[in-house]
Amino acid sequence: MNKRYLMAALLLFCGAAHAQEVFPSRPLSMVVPFPPGGVADVTGRPTAAALEKVLKQPVTIANRPGAGGAVGNAAVANARPDGYTVLMALSSITVIPEADKLFNRKPAYTLDQLAPIALVSADPMILVVHPSLPVKTVKDVIALAKKQPGELSFSSSGVYGALHMPMEMFLHAAQLKMRHVPTTGGGPAITQLLGGHVTMTAGGPAAITSHVKAGKLRTIVTWGAERHPNYREVPTFKEQGYDIVYYIWAGMFAPAGTPEPVMKVLRDAVRQAVNDAEFKAQMARVNSPVNYLDAPDFAKYVDTDAKRLATVVKAIGRVQ
Amino acid sequence: MVETFNSLMMGFSVAFQPQVLMYAFFGCIIGTLVGMMPGLGPLAGISLLLPATFGLNPIIAIVLLSGVYYGAMYGGSTTSILMRIPGEAASVMTCVDGYAMTQQGRAGPALAIAAIGSFVAGTLGVIGLMLLAPTLADFALRFGPPEYTALLLMGLFVLAYMSGGSMLKTLAMAVFGLLLGMIGIDVMSGYTRFSFGITELGDGVGIVPVAVGLFGISEILMTAGQADPPKVQQPTLRQLVPTASDLRQSVGPIARGSLLGFMIGIIPGSAHIISSFVSYGMERRLSKTPERFGQGAIEGVAGPESANNAAATGAFVPMLALGIPTGPVTAVMLAAIMVHGILPGPMLIQQQPDLFWGFVASMYVGNVVLLVLNLPMVGLFVNLLRIPYAYLYPCILAFCIVGCYSVSNSTMDVWIMLVMGVVGYVLRKFGFDLAPVALGLVLGPMLELSLRQSLAMSGGDYAIFLQRPIAVTMLVLAVVLLFFAVKPLIFKGKDWRSKVGLDEPADS
Repeated sequence: MNKRYLMAALLLFCGAAHAQEVFPSRPLSMVVPFPPGGVADVTGRPTAAALEKVLKQPVTIANRPGAGGAVGNAAVANARPDGYTVLMALSSITVIPEADKLFNRKPAYTLDQLAPIALVSADPMILVVHPSLPVKTVKDVIALAKKQPGELSFSSSGVYGALHMPMEMFLHAAQLKMRHVPTTGGGPAITQLLGGHVTMTAGGPAAITSHVKAGKLRTIVTWGAERHPNYREVPTFKEQGYDIVYYIWAGMFAPAGTPEPVMKVLRDAVRQAVNDAEFKAQMARVNSPVNYLDAPDFAKYVDTDAKRLATVVKAIGRVQ
Repeated sequence: MVETFNSLMMGFSVAFQPQVLMYAFFGCIIGTLVGMMPGLGPLAGISLLLPATFGLNPIIAIVLLSGVYYGAMYGGSTTSILMRIPGEAASVMTCVDGYAMTQQGRAGPALAIAAIGSFVAGTLGVIGLMLLAPTLADFALRFGPPEYTALLLMGLFVLAYMSGGSMLKTLAMAVFGLLLGMIGIDVMSGYTRFSFGITELGDGVGIVPVAVGLFGISEILMTAGQADPPKVQQPTLRQLVPTASDLRQSVGPIARGSLLGFMIGIIPGSAHIISSFVSYGMERRLSKTPERFGQGAIEGVAGPESANNAAATGAFVPMLALGIPTGPVTAVMLAAIMVHGILPGPMLIQQQPDLFWGFVASMYVGNVVLLVLNLPMVGLFVNLLRIPYAYLYPCILAFCIVGCYSVSNSTMDVWIMLVMGVVGYVLRKFGFDLAPVALGLVLGPMLELSLRQSLAMSGGDYAIFLQRPIAVTMLVLAVVLLFFAVKPLIFKGKDWRSKVGLDEPADS
């Protein structure tokens, strides 16, 4: 008898709770598709911490590394669209499906499976050369590359990766040929350049700062739309007459189909989170400038970036 | 010299601050526990702990993480020796002779030698780091893809000395390992190979799930297949302590392993994994009684264990002196410093002297802590073997699965581990040695990548290997090694293999 009442009470309670459930009523999980310590991770953790304060629910980080981010991106693309699983993705999210298409692979996910929440940070790449290379400006680089076609070389974090794409943009815009030495990450790519095994690479501002200061690398030009605040003396490609822009950005996504009210809660939460003092301090420490865009603008941003990068991927074609 | 001494004293004044000391101790304990968890190695340990260090000050963060790193290296050998479960690639070789010693009731001496070897190697490594970091780091940078290719070729030729069985079986297993290494995205072209459309296989097959499966799970299956359960061991106190002859036999391997490990460790890339394999091959080659290897030779534990700990320290050289990661572990540690606003780079030692010297001093402290922690624990660990297998093995199996899953939250890794367990079981039934599989899997992708990077650098010209002095030197060494390896095939019957009747003479 008692048991039956209890059951009935429980059922009633559940029903009631369900009817007026306010999002979020339980912890959220933020998937980071890269290992701890990477750009996505050091952006994701402070964001999650700031979101916790706003949402009053724990936001746990789940690192799901693999296949250049494809594993984690796909995990969220196929997750239940209830807003409890969100993604902190890097700009590579738009390139992976393109590369899949190029190789006639079944894509691990498509971009329309993901709904943009907000852009959190964006960092322009900077072209750095080994100091032994007798070049100071883009014009010098181009002149040298034209004089020795196919002799200069650059390292990257992998084919179609975040360091390969900007270099290919440059090579196509200036119609140059260089040797490409892919490595397994941003760190190894810079190591190859420091050792003089290649002549140049595209590097993130944070990753190159200490080497530039020590005179081990020389900056040439940036892919930013405007000059970088920490590198005032480095001109942009646009100033040099090349219309190429490339940023490594980090942004949040939810699975497509997440209800609009839930999306609104998430968007508002991120807006408050990026203004959190602790969050700002944390991002400043990792040298990653906060660059906030709300969903509608972010969606446009992703779209532009995806189109631009798709062109580059097609231009590179299949690497032989 | 005086300056170094003064700086070191300053470092100790940092390392002996109660708070720093406490975290060093804490890190060592967590590391040891993580290392003992089957399938969880140093990388998993520090990755899991990294977020917790964001709120600490940078010196404490790095001291804590390096404690975990060291501790996990020590702890990894414990499960390798007692249960044949490698926590990471570096302890694969320890499984072979270490576990054989356990089966002979000599787990105590094996554990003790592993701890002593690790301590000596770790301490020598810190001395090297302290005195030579800037010099060595510049040398390390000269290791580009061609040099790396030559180094890995040398590693490959060590295979001949790795296994106790027939040469044909050893090579077959190495090829199996190399083939496993082919799975995944080709870094040079972006093609996905042999992944059957499974996204998780894009990064290839990880060494940890394979090693845990091949060695650990297969052992559990083998035991289950025995008619009588193996006798539970009841070691006496005397059996726990290494004998004088154990110690005498270990001196050489520890010294050689330390030097070799440190030199390999400083090279950027993941070459430090091969240090324990190379050390094992070298000790067997130098030994007067190579047939004892694989049957519980203490040199087979002392050498590789020292090598992997020295390599762990060596890996800090380019990290601290240049701010470049030598592998995934140092990459995570660099991130730990960076989130505190310290930019690792060539100026780190000058700009952050208390970080560098505090770190160096804390490594001395950490090594002592681990030795003090581990030696008395040998008795405790060995007592795990008193647990009846019916209870022990299901627990180990559960731990393996949990550990393997938690590394990157991937069920695929668990499946790989289980499948490899079955594969390992079948292969062992047919008398195949499994260590060459692990070496093949580790070497394959690295060798392919560096070879193709070299050719990308030279525009397809193989002469690049002959134009670079370091690469040429190592290639010559590799050829000499190859010659020694094939000598017994040319001059019949000169090999120890025929002496112990493992290889049928070619003319029979």
